[in-house]
Amino acid sequence: MKTVDLCRYYRRGPSEVRAVDRVNIEIAKGEFLGLVGSSGSGKSTLLNLLAGLDSPTSGSIEVEGVSLTSFTRRELAAYRANKVGMIFQAFNLLPHRTARGNVELALYFNQTSPPERRRQAIEMLEQLGLGDRLDHHPADLSGGEQQRVAIARALVKNPEILFADEPTGNLDHDNSKQITDLLARLNRQGLTVIMVTHNRELARSYTNRLVRMHYGRVIEETTDPLIPGGDT
Amino acid sequence: MIWRDLLSISTGNLWRLKLRSFLTISGVVIAIAAFVAMLSFGAGNQQLITEQFNELGLFTTMQVYPPRDKDKADSVREAVLDDDALEVLSRVPGVDLVYPFNSFKVTAGLEDTTLEIEAQALPAAALETRLFSQLKAGSFFSHDSAHQVMVTEDITDTLGLSADSIIGRQIILSVQAASIDSGLAYILKGERERMEGRLKEIRFDSLIHDAYRRRVFYGEMNEAFKYFLEGYMNHRNLISDTFTVCGVLEKMSRRRRIQIRPVIIPAFAARHFSVSGFGDNPADLFNALKNGTFFVPSGDSISRSYPQVTLNLNPHVPYETVSDSVEALGFRTFSFAAQFKEISRFFFYFDMFLGIIGLIALITASLGIVNTMVMSIIERKREIGLLKSLGADERDIRILFLFESGVIGALGATTGIIFGWLITRLASLVARTIMVRQGLDEMELFALPGWLVLTAFLFGLTVSLIAGFYPASRAARVDPVEALRNE
Repeated sequence: MKTVDLCRYYRRGPSEVRAVDRVNIEIAKGEFLGLVGSSGSGKSTLLNLLAGLDSPTSGSIEVEGVSLTSFTRRELAAYRANKVGMIFQAFNLLPHRTARGNVELALYFNQTSPPERRRQAIEMLEQLGLGDRLDHHPADLSGGEQQRVAIARALVKNPEILFADEPTGNLDHDNSKQITDLLARLNRQGLTVIMVTHNRELARSYTNRLVRMHYGRVIEETTDPLIPGGDT
Repeated sequence: MIWRDLLSISTGNLWRLKLRSFLTISGVVIAIAAFVAMLSFGAGNQQLITEQFNELGLFTTMQVYPPRDKDKADSVREAVLDDDALEVLSRVPGVDLVYPFNSFKVTAGLEDTTLEIEAQALPAAALETRLFSQLKAGSFFSHDSAHQVMVTEDITDTLGLSADSIIGRQIILSVQAASIDSGLAYILKGERERMEGRLKEIRFDSLIHDAYRRRVFYGEMNEAFKYFLEGYMNHRNLISDTFTVCGVLEKMSRRRRIQIRPVIIPAFAARHFSVSGFGDNPADLFNALKNGTFFVPSGDSISRSYPQVTLNLNPHVPYETVSDSVEALGFRTFSFAAQFKEISRFFFYFDMFLGIIGLIALITASLGIVNTMVMSIIERKREIGLLKSLGADERDIRILFLFESGVIGALGATTGIIFGWLITRLASLVARTIMVRQGLDEMELFALPGWLVLTAFLFGLTVSLIAGFYPASRAARVDPVEALRNE
């Protein structure tokens, strides 16, 4: 996956906000990329653009040589349904659905039959150690468990890339570590992971490469886990 | 997303917001129940009339009348509904049977009881038509010259007999018939005394004056006619015959709308009465004068005319074709099928009116649906964003919300139909109770035919889908990035 002069501008009142400004990055298959930067630096916007959830103002995103910007809305939806998994800081689990129901939801849009959906959801939750929480609603789960359910939902459709937007932002230290360990394990199994985080220590410990953003631009890219300076 | 997923998500969402869903669906229920109840009344009345028409075979019956006086001048030739006309009418394509309406007053004697009643002459074939086939007991008369009669239940009720017990009994029918012979005989009878008196009164020397001569002539003519009418009307012959009661027809209830005389005599056997002269109804005499059938040789029926003739039509031939052919002969026609067309048109407008009232109620209910769905979008913005992040496109979201509106409509319409039906049952019960109390025949005034159920359901569903269209479009346009943004 690579971006070429990727821009995402939007208007806020009379002024133009350059959330992503001429970003050129390449992400290799199987990479664990960390996107760091201060609030408003454009890292979540970049993540949404890469995930096909937002459209760039200009520039392009190429995935396996195909430009995402040339996709129709329907093709973009299919891209999100089949190739992309997303996890969020707020977990975004539907409170009225059980853990299994939330995981199954990810398979509603890629023509998986209901019995197969059920089987795959149970299998995924069991793999993530939630076999005894299948019929629990989000309110009955801890923060770490909720995020694991969200990860199960992202992984159940067997995506090629996992986008994680501040996945540990709402978790304590132990749960954060567990979740990041899990992401690292998945990455070792071959999954490409792109993680937005404020937690520089976490990013240093787990990612192969860090991209630091500031006011919509990539200001630093390093494969060295130790990022000098910075206030992330 | 497959239908099952849409259904499960939609019903799940409605179930979560029970009170709001209940109130929204209630609006649809009330509107559809009102729609069903009102149109059920229209449908019930239409069905009632159709059933009665079918029961009596009125769709295949046509009445033929002689032309009106003002039409006579325009017609090619003066059309008279006589036996020749019956012959011509029977040859019109699409006409299966022709018989005239021939009724007259008779005195019926059954054992020691005497009744003054109306009798009707009918061919045996006519009795087999639906119009007369409500046989209560016995059988139809075997042929047109049989010495058998059929009576209606009105007779058995009057005599206090059961339908079965009157079968086989002898009934003596007699008519007082005046004829031209009796009139002329009366003139001749008093002629000598009258002439003597008149000759004394006439001043023969004044006959040379034109005015006096004319006065004498008119005076004589008027006197002779007065005597003729007196003899004609008051010195009638008594004609009697004995018949066996072979069958009893069911009582003609008010809703049958067809008048059948209490005694029905085979057509040929009845000629004995009907060609013998006129009854005591002066209208018969004047009709005969008007129709030019006054001077008829006794026993000759060739030139006898009828006020009305019934045609039984072939159900496969359009009544308009027969009607056109008959009217081309110079006669007037009346068809129940044509009448029914008019009734159907009335019911169409009646149903339209009721439907519009239902539609207004449903539009009001649809505003509730719009409100519910818009509220739902605001509350479920994050869910919409999440579904989009999981691969839903705008179409999926639009369908999902439209489906929810559809579920509201379908549930509301189904429940509304059931409620509407319950309302009609209650109204029907009340109406029947009132009818019985008023001594009327019980009638079912409401009907819930399949088309009404289907129309009501589709009506509810369509209006709900239209109401859901704007919220669904709005939901489809929700920006997932905005919806999933951390608050």
